Amino acid sequence: MLSALIWLPVIGAALVGFLPGNISASRARIGAIAISGVLLLWTIYLLTQFNLVTPGLQMQEYLPWIQTLGLNYSLGVDGLSLPLVALTNLLTLVVIFSSDLQAPKSAPLKRPRLFYSLVLLISGGMAGALLAQNLLLFFLFYEVELIPFYLMISIWGSEKRDYAAIKFLLYTAVSGILILAAFLAINWLTNASSFDYAAISTQGLSQRTQLILLTLMIVGFGIKIPLVPLHTWLPDAYVEASTPTAILLGGVLAKLGTYGLVRFCLGLFPETWSLVTPGLSIVAAVSVLYGTLAALAQKDIKRMVAYSSIGHMGYVLLGTIALTPLALVGAVSQMVSHGLILALLFYLVGVIETKVGTRDLDVLNGLLNPIRGLPTISALLILAGMGSAGIPGMAGFISEFLVFQGSFAAFPVPTLLCVVGTALTAVYFVILLNRTCFGKLDNKTAYYPKVTGLEQLPAIALTGLIIWLGVQPSWLVRWSESTTTALVAATPVYEARQLAMSPIVPLSEVSSHPTISNPSIH
Amino acid sequence: MAQLLLQSVWLIPCYSLLGAALSALWFPGITRRTGPRPAGYVNVTMTFISFVHAVIALTATWNQPAQQFSIPWLQVAGLDLTIPIEVSSLTVGVIVVVAGLNLLAQTFAIGYMEMDWGWGRLYSLMAVFEAGLVALALCNSLFFSYIILEILTLGTYLIVGIWFNQSLVVTGARDAFLTKRIGDLFLLMGVIALLPIAGTWNFSELAEWARTANVDQNTITLIGLALIAGPMGKCAQFPLHLWLDEAMEGPVPASILRNSVVVATGAWILVKLEPVLSLSPVVQSTMIVIGSISAIGGSLIALAQIDIKRAFSYLVTAYMGIVFIAVGTQQTEAALLIVLTHALSMALMMMSSGAVVWNSITQDLTQLGGLWSRRPVSGLALVVATLGLIALPPFGSFWSMLKLADGLENSGHPWLVGVLLIVNALTAFGLTRAFSLVFGGKPKQMSERSPEVHWPMALPMIILSAFTLHLPLILQSLSLLPSWADINTNMALLLIWSSIFGASLSAVIYLGNYIQKPVQFPIKALQDLVAYDFYTPNLYRNSIVFSVAVVSQLTSWIDRYLVDGVVNLFGMVTLFSGQSLKYSTSGQSQFYALTILVGVTVLGVFLCWSSLSHMVLVMTASVFHQQSLG
Repeated sequence: MLSALIWLPVIGAALVGFLPGNISASRARIGAIAISGVLLLWTIYLLTQFNLVTPGLQMQEYLPWIQTLGLNYSLGVDGLSLPLVALTNLLTLVVIFSSDLQAPKSAPLKRPRLFYSLVLLISGGMAGALLAQNLLLFFLFYEVELIPFYLMISIWGSEKRDYAAIKFLLYTAVSGILILAAFLAINWLTNASSFDYAAISTQGLSQRTQLILLTLMIVGFGIKIPLVPLHTWLPDAYVEASTPTAILLGGVLAKLGTYGLVRFCLGLFPETWSLVTPGLSIVAAVSVLYGTLAALAQKDIKRMVAYSSIGHMGYVLLGTIALTPLALVGAVSQMVSHGLILALLFYLVGVIETKVGTRDLDVLNGLLNPIRGLPTISALLILAGMGSAGIPGMAGFISEFLVFQGSFAAFPVPTLLCVVGTALTAVYFVILLNRTCFGKLDNKTAYYPKVTGLEQLPAIALTGLIIWLGVQPSWLVRWSESTTTALVAATPVYEARQLAMSPIVPLSEVSSHPTISNPSIH
Repeated sequence: MAQLLLQSVWLIPCYSLLGAALSALWFPGITRRTGPRPAGYVNVTMTFISFVHAVIALTATWNQPAQQFSIPWLQVAGLDLTIPIEVSSLTVGVIVVVAGLNLLAQTFAIGYMEMDWGWGRLYSLMAVFEAGLVALALCNSLFFSYIILEILTLGTYLIVGIWFNQSLVVTGARDAFLTKRIGDLFLLMGVIALLPIAGTWNFSELAEWARTANVDQNTITLIGLALIAGPMGKCAQFPLHLWLDEAMEGPVPASILRNSVVVATGAWILVKLEPVLSLSPVVQSTMIVIGSISAIGGSLIALAQIDIKRAFSYLVTAYMGIVFIAVGTQQTEAALLIVLTHALSMALMMMSSGAVVWNSITQDLTQLGGLWSRRPVSGLALVVATLGLIALPPFGSFWSMLKLADGLENSGHPWLVGVLLIVNALTAFGLTRAFSLVFGGKPKQMSERSPEVHWPMALPMIILSAFTLHLPLILQSLSLLPSWADINTNMALLLIWSSIFGASLSAVIYLGNYIQKPVQFPIKALQDLVAYDFYTPNLYRNSIVFSVAVVSQLTSWIDRYLVDGVVNLFGMVTLFSGQSLKYSTSGQSQFYALTILVGVTVLGVFLCWSSLSHMVLVMTASVFHQQSLG
């Protein structure tokens, strides 16, 4: 079942990319849409089959592969990876659907077949990394992702694409090396029989060793997320990349970093992770404030959105370090809602760039004009910006709120600083919206091509989803709740906290959970 | 029937939301085919349905105990977010007022927006406001109240920004949004911090908890201060008052709703939170101080405004300040009564000013005059609004002010009665001034051809005037007025005299010919200070806005030149030392990429070489395995 998520896009990529004969661009596009549509349907089917109360892995698959290396083909899905898989497949469809839509067809997509196969490869690789339950297998997929992304930035990017692509590649390669080193060390030092996630127990390691290994992984994943100060690849990569690449980079790839933090840092080193959280809480607050303040100063709307992403990933980090069930479920929801909102923002910015021909805040003006502007796109941009700024009624709010509420008890000051970050987010989005959507349209230059219904469709669908998840947030959090609760329950901080203070919430729900049979709670 | 409607009172916000969703179709979609008007009619109909529903439900709930029920929303990781709904005569009464005022405002908009294309947006946003206000009245939880306030903040941004191609509108919308949002986020901090110590967000349970709570004073003070920051933004209190004045750039129908009931959302939250806030004396004093400054400051600033809408809008700040004082001294009933009497009068006042501005081209008080004979409806509406807003028996505000003054006398802060009297006198003075300048005197150039407005604007004014005049009767029939025997005559006389003093002094100055026009304050600096709003805009520009801009520029500079610069330097020196200069030229870098890719591939193949033959086998097996699974 899960293998299909990996191999279907890979086979699809091969078909689209290497099928002999002269397939036209539109034929290739339809093929790619069909494949990613099937993928999304398959994901939805998996969602229906997913058992919400089981905290552990489900639908596992296991094949011994290279025993000597400890590499096994071992897949599984739980509440942490499932929402991200769904997000990946949704955004893949959005990207493929929207990438060759320009009407009138002024600039058809270059090398469409290569493009579609790379996007499908990314989708397969992401699914592989999220589903892999073997450290080496995860690493393979994690590294495989780099190649299509590198190519996508350097082929379809804008002017400074080569610089951006190289920077991206070097940074993420370093990230990969650090993670590989950590994984190898974990395997050797614990004398585990294989790299299988389940086979590894870090209990026997000394705290110092654990700390070193954990730091390696935090830096490695921190590059991917990215956390300040490891973030400088991001603005260049996001801005120079074309819209579809930016959507995939921000909506999908960045999530591998936060996923890695939760799965491998928190999951493998629960005790040591509790030690480093105070330091990381400062990193989270700094990331949020740094990202938002840097975004405030930007003149390019795409760069502004890119910096906003740095800020928003800070909330995810805050949620993962607070070690309360609420904060962690908030962090996973924030990964999803950030992915959706960022994708929507990049998409709308992309449409504005294609139609208006600029992303400069000083040039853009009055696009909300109902006759000659881009009224629908502007209206959606207002919604997306406000969603990103955490206005309730959209998915961003509830995730951020859960993170804040969950982490306030653990780290009050960083949490409040992050709330200040939300206020600043509102400031720069208002600047963006005031300049872009409001104001007077210049009648001399306002001969923009029409935005077709097909071009609006992905944005409307994403907006609808964001609002729906905001109004019905249980559809956002239900997938991950039991998994995240179990993850947090494994940490010593949680136990200590349960003993030390009278809890906020009635424990009946938490403790009645089948997996948390910790007598000390009662 | 009535019982059924009472049970389904939660449907009322849904009507408005449905109307809002329907009129969104006119943006800009079918406007070209039908014109913008149907969007408005749809919403007026929906609001009318809401109003009728609410009125019938009110009859059913009158003198009945409050009903509570809850709607499950989200349960996650031990956090239970269920929407508690409270249906009582108070909440349904609030709904009636909100829906009624919105119905009048929307009818007014039919006339006011006659020549405008933006009906779809205006009406859908007004419907959103109605839905939000109704939901706020019904919902009995701090958390959901916060959510509604935030959504209304966005609504304010959009509704002020209706005429988005004017630069003043754009800055007005921006400032309104940011000021309110900053208040909201402090409120959010308070909301988050309150849960761990109180364990609930339900207002009734919070009141219960506050009665016996034994909490750390510092903590509860900080939380209380955060909690009042949200209402401060909503109620346009000093120092978060600037936005309301700038929001007057928006269309008048929105201002009618905003100045009467939307600002009152803050007051509502305050009243609901009063038990929690009174846990800390510091918070109470803060509320009293802020309220007093806003009340006196607002009514003073109003005196010096020459823009008719602004002259009225600062009175909102003043009256909301009085509400802050009332809550600070635990006079919640008086606070709610003031909110009610203020809402009706202020809505009427905004209608009257909107009607004058609509076809007089100017909204400058000094350029208007002599409209009384030509515009009886607008003139009478302003008179009625004035009577309703100042403490003059037998009209509405007299009773609410009297109730408050009574309470203040016994509250331990008798000087607050003085504040109340000053504000009342200043308000009477300011309103009489505005009336005299617009309707009194001789017609000036701008007001020579200024006929009365047509029925869609006149009718709501007449209806609302009637309601404002009859408000005391309504209150009496609901037995909300004190009996004659219990009236504190001293206090009543003080209030009456302050009103008469303010109004007559103003009439003498502005209607009589004894004083040179335009009237100046005795001291020029004082006049400027008040006219320019105590220079708060400059203060903001030079402090907060400036520092945020500097810090963000600094961050951006550090990001570009320090963090990124170091990285680039590092990259150039170590990785490409030999050919660093070619590193960013296109052909070269692709070559590097290729070498890296080849290297990685070779390494991978090398690592797996021993078992590569094995791998083929595995792949085949996995395919078969998949088939057997599928």
